[in-house]
Amino acid sequence: MKYENQQSRDGRSDWIAVALFALLITIGWLNIYSVTSDVNQEGFQISAIALKQLFWIGGALLIMIVVSYANVVFIHYLSYYIYGFVLLLNISVLFLGREVSGAKSWFGFGGIGIQPSEFAKLATAMALAKFLGAYGMRFKGLKIIGISLAIITAPLIIVLAQNDTGTALVFLSFYLVLYREGMPGYILLSAVLFGILSITSIYLNSFDVSFIWLYGTLIVLGLAIAYAFRKVRQALIAIAFIVSISLVFSAVIGWTYDKLFKEYQKDRIEIVLGLKADPRGMGYNLDQSKIAIGAGQWNGRGFLNGTQTKMGFVPEQHTDFIFCTIGEEWGFFGVLVFFSIYLAFVSRLVLIAERQSDTYGRILGYSAASIFFFHWLINIGMTIGLVPVIGIPLPFISFGGSSLWGFTLLLFVFLRYDQARRN
Amino acid sequence: MQDLYKNRSRVFIGVFILFYIVYIIRVGTIQLNGNAYENKAINNALNKITLYPSRSVIYDRNNKIIIKNYVMYDLFAFPKQLDTLNKSFICEVLNIDTAFYEKLLTETWLKSRKRRKNNAYDRSALFYSNLSEAQYTVLRENLYRLRGFYVEPRTDRAYNVTGGGHALGYLGEASETLLKEESYYQPGDLVGITGIEKYYESIFRGIKGVKTVWQDRTYQERGDVNNDAFNIAAISGPDVTSTLDIELQRYAEELFKGKRGSIVAIEPATGEVLVFVNKPDFDPNELVGKDRSRSFRRMLIDPKKPLYNRAVKGVYPPGSTVKTVLALIGLQEGIIEPSTRKGCAGGYHMGSIVIGCHAHPSPLDLEGSIQISCNAYYCDLFRQIIDHPKYGNVNAGYRVLERHWRSFGLGSPTGIDLLGEDGGSIPTVEGLAKRHGKKWRSSQVVSLGIGQGEILLTPLQLANVAAILANRGFYVTPHLVKSIQGYSDTAWLRKFTKKHRTTVNPKYFETIIQGMSNVMKPGGTANGTGIPGIDICGKTGTAQNPHGKDHSLFIAFAPRNNPKIAVAVIVENAGFGSTYAAPISNLVIEKFLHPDTLTKVPFVLERIKKSVIEPL
Repeated sequence: MKYENQQSRDGRSDWIAVALFALLITIGWLNIYSVTSDVNQEGFQISAIALKQLFWIGGALLIMIVVSYANVVFIHYLSYYIYGFVLLLNISVLFLGREVSGAKSWFGFGGIGIQPSEFAKLATAMALAKFLGAYGMRFKGLKIIGISLAIITAPLIIVLAQNDTGTALVFLSFYLVLYREGMPGYILLSAVLFGILSITSIYLNSFDVSFIWLYGTLIVLGLAIAYAFRKVRQALIAIAFIVSISLVFSAVIGWTYDKLFKEYQKDRIEIVLGLKADPRGMGYNLDQSKIAIGAGQWNGRGFLNGTQTKMGFVPEQHTDFIFCTIGEEWGFFGVLVFFSIYLAFVSRLVLIAERQSDTYGRILGYSAASIFFFHWLINIGMTIGLVPVIGIPLPFISFGGSSLWGFTLLLFVFLRYDQARRN
Repeated sequence: MQDLYKNRSRVFIGVFILFYIVYIIRVGTIQLNGNAYENKAINNALNKITLYPSRSVIYDRNNKIIIKNYVMYDLFAFPKQLDTLNKSFICEVLNIDTAFYEKLLTETWLKSRKRRKNNAYDRSALFYSNLSEAQYTVLRENLYRLRGFYVEPRTDRAYNVTGGGHALGYLGEASETLLKEESYYQPGDLVGITGIEKYYESIFRGIKGVKTVWQDRTYQERGDVNNDAFNIAAISGPDVTSTLDIELQRYAEELFKGKRGSIVAIEPATGEVLVFVNKPDFDPNELVGKDRSRSFRRMLIDPKKPLYNRAVKGVYPPGSTVKTVLALIGLQEGIIEPSTRKGCAGGYHMGSIVIGCHAHPSPLDLEGSIQISCNAYYCDLFRQIIDHPKYGNVNAGYRVLERHWRSFGLGSPTGIDLLGEDGGSIPTVEGLAKRHGKKWRSSQVVSLGIGQGEILLTPLQLANVAAILANRGFYVTPHLVKSIQGYSDTAWLRKFTKKHRTTVNPKYFETIIQGMSNVMKPGGTANGTGIPGIDICGKTGTAQNPHGKDHSLFIAFAPRNNPKIAVAVIVENAGFGSTYAAPISNLVIEKFLHPDTLTKVPFVLERIKKSVIEPL
């Protein structure tokens, strides 16, 4: 294969990926240090949170080393067991866990909490890789597709049951992996189109347009088009199909949106869609987040000088909204550098995934890349008001042990596999 | 195994780059859009706390403190941040009921809306003023759990006197109008409402400072902003020395107990006001602290009008006291000589009209006419002046007289450092013509000659006349502030050191002064009211009052040579000038000249102290 000559012959990890990882960890810790520092701090004074994160980083490095010496065959062999074990953990947390801001997804051990759903991402990736990697399987046939979807959907539903919508949504990133493995592109495309349709439906919903009129207009329009193209049978069928599916879909969305979403979730969606302006309530967080980022301007307000984030105007300023600190203190240039590092990181993972000799490694790699990309997309999108406020961490940057360890494992299990792929 | 979908890796990288670009553009539009967001961030995190300076401490002329400050604590609130859970606690500490709490909250809302703090999300405002020591202690200890509340120290006035309020003035909360006019003030600020507190407000108030603190989302202070650009120290008002002699003021107030009227005493050479008493008056101590507005409202509706500043706003016919001025004008115009004698047959006769006079020897020379206060003399002199052939006609003659009168400070405000001073009135030719017809004659207005009719003076103007007589022809604009630390060479000071000369030559004064000196001697109108050992020059007045009993008036200065004090006293509805006004005036003069010895006329003192004049 093309990439085989470029592989690290001495069996070392891909140093570019490791370097980018180290860079991200450092950026993350510096920002946590800054955002939790005292306002009039002089000299080096470490906050409890920054210290704790240092401890988590130490743990992450330990994980990195341990994984580097792990037996790859053993990892491969254990895939299903790990998946099963993590799913069990995630189910048991429903009964034994403690509630943190509405989500029951944490095991508490003294002062330290462990969030098993963070490890479900890797476990799912391993299970999916092992399943699709077996016997040179192709992503084809009802049974295989069904089982693949089941592997992805099971943790998604369990995490949803933990009331942690954000983390549950992350499992959607596995659809990107499936796309790479041969899922027809139009499925992804229609998912995107249906997404657009959903948003339109919510728009129309909130404008109180009478659905009878809307549907009536659409049906009449559809019939008119059908009549115009009556000679072309294929087109006629296609149009009829699309129109009816859309109608049903938007009706379902309208209904689901009204009945299933909670009031605060609706608020978040509507604020992002610009249907609701509420600078004191839900929109306050987004507003403050934008103020923080906007205050950075070109060069940023300087390390340790981000009052907007430090003083708690931005919510969750050291976890989900940590990007605001980057924006506020390092400015547009800082953001440019950070985004570039991140882009390089996920692109590097895709490249490494592509040089794998087997499906297992490739799926692991694409899972990692997709998950990291999805996290970045949602997390940053949330702080800049392009995505509803969904609480998921920014990998390697946000404060938190479980997520850091989970991401580190995800990355280094894959890098270990890459490192050993010829052995 | 063949990989059919290898090309899809490009889709991945493509999608990454696409969103990378989209997000960069989005972040760019947020960040590279001027500094509006940065300003918002700064406003969020900085809280400017006003540092209130203490007002000027005010001393009397003998360096005794009249007004000082005490620190009080005000409870401020961010109305939006208040937690209803704390309501009962606050009510308990402040000893108020929930209804009153709600009322305070509403007021805080209103104030907070007006608070000029640029576009910050939340504004705090005064919630409860003047906490007691105990309340302050309890609140301070519990502040950490009283979300949205904070305590701020401020100063209010503390008085060492119980009177003098009309000169000193009092403080009150800044009015709506003031808030609109001057951005310096915030709702709840204490400003001078009357008196010198008002006149010198911009000096006395000092200069507010600003302390900037970091504040987080929950309005918790997170330390000072260590940047001098954000912190300005408050500057206290400069020390102020008043012209008042506070002991003398107290004495005069005591003498005036149970009476209505005014006494104003001036140091003639300097125009410094030594005593400034009005009765009824108020105790400035009632207009401080949290009872301020309640007391103020009570005083406003009090039928005795304790807030009414008679000395500068009350206008009275001066009666015989201004005969002194008319006599001087007659001498200046060469119409009479000191030796000019005029007869009096129980009054001044004009056809069937008689302006009465009391029984006295006749005829009298000028000196005697002052001593005895002969009405006929001055009615005749008045007509003699304005009808004098050398002026051509009565209008021209009257204009000459009016010009002389005005040079004595009559008919226009003296310019004392108090606002709202009345100028009294001196009729003009036009005014007289309007009233009495174009072809008016001197006989129609003859009562002006004896200080009755359309001539009206404030007690302050009268005291100023006394000072002019003492100075033999000049006055310095009366004033209540002697010096202000750091304001030694200013327009303000020049205004109150400038000598204003009258149109009468100083050489004419001695005759009049001799007459005034004789007023307290046998045959004089105030015989028996003098003080042994002090050469007091005075002139009585008994002003007819259409609303009731005559007002008792007296102007005086002493000692005769190199006078130290000039006084005007008006006791409303007290009859003859000699009965009340003269003894009060002379007791004050005695006290001023000999502050440390007992009065030589204890029986007079006793009588004055005890007497109560029922109004009307």
